[in-house]
Amino acid sequence: MLKIIRVHNELLGTYGDRGNADVLAFRAGLAGIATAIVDISYRESIPSDGDIYLLGGAEDAAQILSCNALSGGSLHGAVEKGTVVLAICAGFQILGKSFYANGEEQRGLGLLNVTTVPGTSRYVGDIKVHSELLGIDLTGFENHGGKTLLGAGAQAFGKVLVGHGNGDTGVDGAVSGNIFGTYLHGPVLARNPEFADLLLSRAHGAPVKVSDPLADRYAALRREVTK
Amino acid sequence: MGSLRLKVAIAIAKSAGALSKSLGRGSGETLPGRILLTLCPNAIELLAQSRVVILVSGTNGKTSTTKELVSQVRTVGTVVTSSSGSNLSRGVAGALMQDSVFAVLEVDELHLPEVVAQTNPAVVLLLNLTRDQLHRMHEVKRVAARWHEMCKSADPSTLFIADVDDPFVNFAITGAASAVRVSFGGAAHSRHPDGAVCPSCGRYLDWNDGKYHCDCGLSNEYANHTYDGGSAGYRNFVLASLAADYVGVHNALSNIELRSDYRGMERATEKVFAGVKARVRLTKNPASWTEALAGVTGNNVILVLNAREVDGIDTSWIWDVSCASLAGKRVVVTGERGADLAYRLHVEGVQNTLVDTFDEAIAVFGVGSVEVLAAYTAFFGLVGR
Repeated sequence: MLKIIRVHNELLGTYGDRGNADVLAFRAGLAGIATAIVDISYRESIPSDGDIYLLGGAEDAAQILSCNALSGGSLHGAVEKGTVVLAICAGFQILGKSFYANGEEQRGLGLLNVTTVPGTSRYVGDIKVHSELLGIDLTGFENHGGKTLLGAGAQAFGKVLVGHGNGDTGVDGAVSGNIFGTYLHGPVLARNPEFADLLLSRAHGAPVKVSDPLADRYAALRREVTK
Repeated sequence: MGSLRLKVAIAIAKSAGALSKSLGRGSGETLPGRILLTLCPNAIELLAQSRVVILVSGTNGKTSTTKELVSQVRTVGTVVTSSSGSNLSRGVAGALMQDSVFAVLEVDELHLPEVVAQTNPAVVLLLNLTRDQLHRMHEVKRVAARWHEMCKSADPSTLFIADVDDPFVNFAITGAASAVRVSFGGAAHSRHPDGAVCPSCGRYLDWNDGKYHCDCGLSNEYANHTYDGGSAGYRNFVLASLAADYVGVHNALSNIELRSDYRGMERATEKVFAGVKARVRLTKNPASWTEALAGVTGNNVILVLNAREVDGIDTSWIWDVSCASLAGKRVVVTGERGADLAYRLHVEGVQNTLVDTFDEAIAVFGVGSVEVLAAYTAFFGLVGR
């Protein structure tokens, strides 16, 4: 049984990223792997026995609240065990060392060696990135105002082909072990089933390959039209 | 600016509109307003001066609420109103070109502060604020903050009538000199879909069955008028009736008790397509889809999703709408972004058929009747057929 923890969705759920959990559970089901989606709200403590932790995009005030609640270390314990984490947009920024919200610098969780500063404009629109790890192009939609700088040793999640990613730095997101951060909404796992399967494989400890022609057709269509 | 310039500008704008209509270039509805504002940039201020202006804004329900208010206010005087959905400055200017006692106008959320400053309205009806077109609005909080500044700087004679079950609207009117607070005993659902954070102070907002109370004082526990809960159509009807009462419509409030059917408050139209009777309802964002899905009663459903500018160019939000109530129904999906919706339904376990065009969707049913939930641009495409 894979336990999928959807962290603070009422705060980090502004851009439909809750769907990432639904896609993971659905594809795991097709592969014969049982899952449970556990929604953990701001008032609850984060369980340490999750297999996949998901954080989504948010408005500024919500991002600050969520980050403060997580700063007690609840996510750190899980991450130290090598658990899979996928963080989108505001959630990605939270995992870094610092970010800006409500016009002020905020201290992040420091799980990824990145810092986010205000960008030169708001980055809104379709985005396509090439992931070396997956060997494919991924598509999504970005809507943020942050420029994310990679620290020493930090690896980008993808190379930007269309859009802005980490604020026109040529790359999007960051990866460290099993921690993935990206600006791609969509939700990213709905538009890129290969990425969902990678996360499931990492969490399951064995390759998970799912056959769902509808998902493949949808992903192919988005890749074709995003240019 | 002399009134002569205004009169000449109106004459030119009107003939340009008539010409455009006769040439078949669109409906000629926004062109006159656009020309008027080019020739006379302060036309809205000048034309608003001599009448009672009522503005209606909110994420959802603007058009139907405005329509209802117009029909009520017409019983006591002449009314001008904007043509359906034409809610930017040019639509406002176009509507004001005709003489009247009252002007009842729907206004886009982001344009409302400007129009309030220009028209010095008697009443502003604030319905709701939820996520919509985030590529343009960016954040709900951003729109609420603009409204808050607007309420603070409005003339003290302007009355804001507001649904305080929506914390964003409630926050907006905290700065208003005069406001009527309306509650329906709590938010329509157990909580506002985007209301996890207090828009006033940024604290976490705890909800209890549609009620909220923040330490900073923002709460829907206190209201000037409290009504029973109900559909969005019902709530907007009540708000329209309160605004009508304020501007002197007799018995406006007793209408609330008399009426029981609010389907007329929905943005919907009935048409027959290739022998299939369709009720087409406008659905445009998570709150609006949730409301529309709850209203689906039949077994045959067509969902049309587009993602043009006014629809919102990002479709991610469809994952925040539960479509589980459609399971077991005959569901056909189409639209320019039909594939997005078809996959979303697939993951939720709702079987559906994806087709390329609306006509193919109709052909799937062949006979009988169908309920159509259509994105903004798709809705107007179907209405215009």
